Amino acid sequence: MTHLSRSKKLAMSGAAAVLMLTAACGGGSDTESESTDSSSSDETTEDASSTETATTYTVGDYSAEGSYQTPGGTQSVEVELSLEADGTITAVTVTPQADGGNSEQFQTKFAGGIADEVVGTKIDDLDVSKVSGSSLTSGGFNAAVDEIKAEAAA
Amino acid sequence: MASTRPSTRSRPRPLPEPWRFEAIGTAWTVDTSEDVSAEQRAGVADLVREIDRTWSRFREDGGVARLRAGETVDLGPGAAELLDLYDELHDATDGAVNPLVGGGLEVLGYDAAYTLTRHGDPVAAPAWSTARRVGTTLQVPVGAVLDVGAAGKGWLVDRVATQLVEAGHAPTVDAGGDIAHHGTAPIRVAMEHPGDPTLAVGVVDLQPGLALCGSAVNRRAWGEGLHHVLDARTGRPTRGVVASWVVARTAAVADGAATALFFVPPARLAALDVEAAWIDDEGLHTTPDFPGEVFS
Repeated sequence: MTHLSRSKKLAMSGAAAVLMLTAACGGGSDTESESTDSSSSDETTEDASSTETATTYTVGDYSAEGSYQTPGGTQSVEVELSLEADGTITAVTVTPQADGGNSEQFQTKFAGGIADEVVGTKIDDLDVSKVSGSSLTSGGFNAAVDEIKAEAAA
Repeated sequence: MASTRPSTRSRPRPLPEPWRFEAIGTAWTVDTSEDVSAEQRAGVADLVREIDRTWSRFREDGGVARLRAGETVDLGPGAAELLDLYDELHDATDGAVNPLVGGGLEVLGYDAAYTLTRHGDPVAAPAWSTARRVGTTLQVPVGAVLDVGAAGKGWLVDRVATQLVEAGHAPTVDAGGDIAHHGTAPIRVAMEHPGDPTLAVGVVDLQPGLALCGSAVNRRAWGEGLHHVLDARTGRPTRGVVASWVVARTAAVADGAATALFFVPPARLAALDVEAAWIDDEGLHTTPDFPGEVFS
């Protein structure tokens, strides 16, 4: 039950972050700030640990929502993860926000079904400087993870 | 090759750190051989802010809202180039790509409140021929919603790159994988697997002066059968192609053509002078002169 209340609390603070993010994007002032995000070639789920090595966290399962704008509109994702005391993230689910019982990951059902037929090579093993695809959710994802870790700091 | 330390003679000093920032909801990386000054950064921020104000479908005070209300709106510098491109994309896809698709996206939940909940049957976009345009000035039928999601991001990448070129830089501008490369040497870019972001399905060798954009339905999907690439003629999400990459002279063309490939084969886009790769239910395909390798 503690997990449930924790999730709820974080979901609410996640919503606050959504509003702040949207406002920042709308004003455009965020373009001047340096981002610590890595380039898209290493946008992985481990990104968020960097500056908080000395912090300990309340172990548990969390969720938060991240939102951001594109020329085509606002995007929103829900991030669920399990956090260890040292800040290690052990399980992550990213869900595009969808209606009630229909939030099943579309990626798995459609894109994945076809794309499984296509051969892939680990990007980490390639000598490339950039990645091109559809990496648009990273902004919302990183915001949600930062929110969770800030709230979970013991 | 994590280190960028130069060899001692060929480069007198190390390259500056890439300039990274977040804008329009995506991570940008700008590589240059000289530092981008504070003034130049502020100039880019102003440009992005102005374009967002004019073109965002989600601002009540912006150009799109005024168009929707029936006003005639001057969409500002560069608008003619973007709208000309939309004319070409519209014709090449028999109307499947149409910048009045915004209303159809709203019905499927891609709306200002980002409900991401479908609240109606799919609706076809108003015919693009109902829009009246003179240069950068546009008028659309009352209630029609402009959405430049098909090519707008690439166009913004070009605008940012051009501003930096005019300031004396040779930049490579990367907005979440949509890349305008104005640097001096080729770069290698992984093509992200649409089903697994840790995998690549190929590598593009991107020459200076060219742009690369990718589009995939995997990440911007929010429910069973719902995603952002709509066929404007029906208002329904497209099926079949799940990912595409295009190399072109500008990021606007690359971005728009990558969207068009969800509807038509590359032969229909010959006038745009593009090379392309795409994944459909038969696997990965490329045009004969696609500049790179694919792992198939």
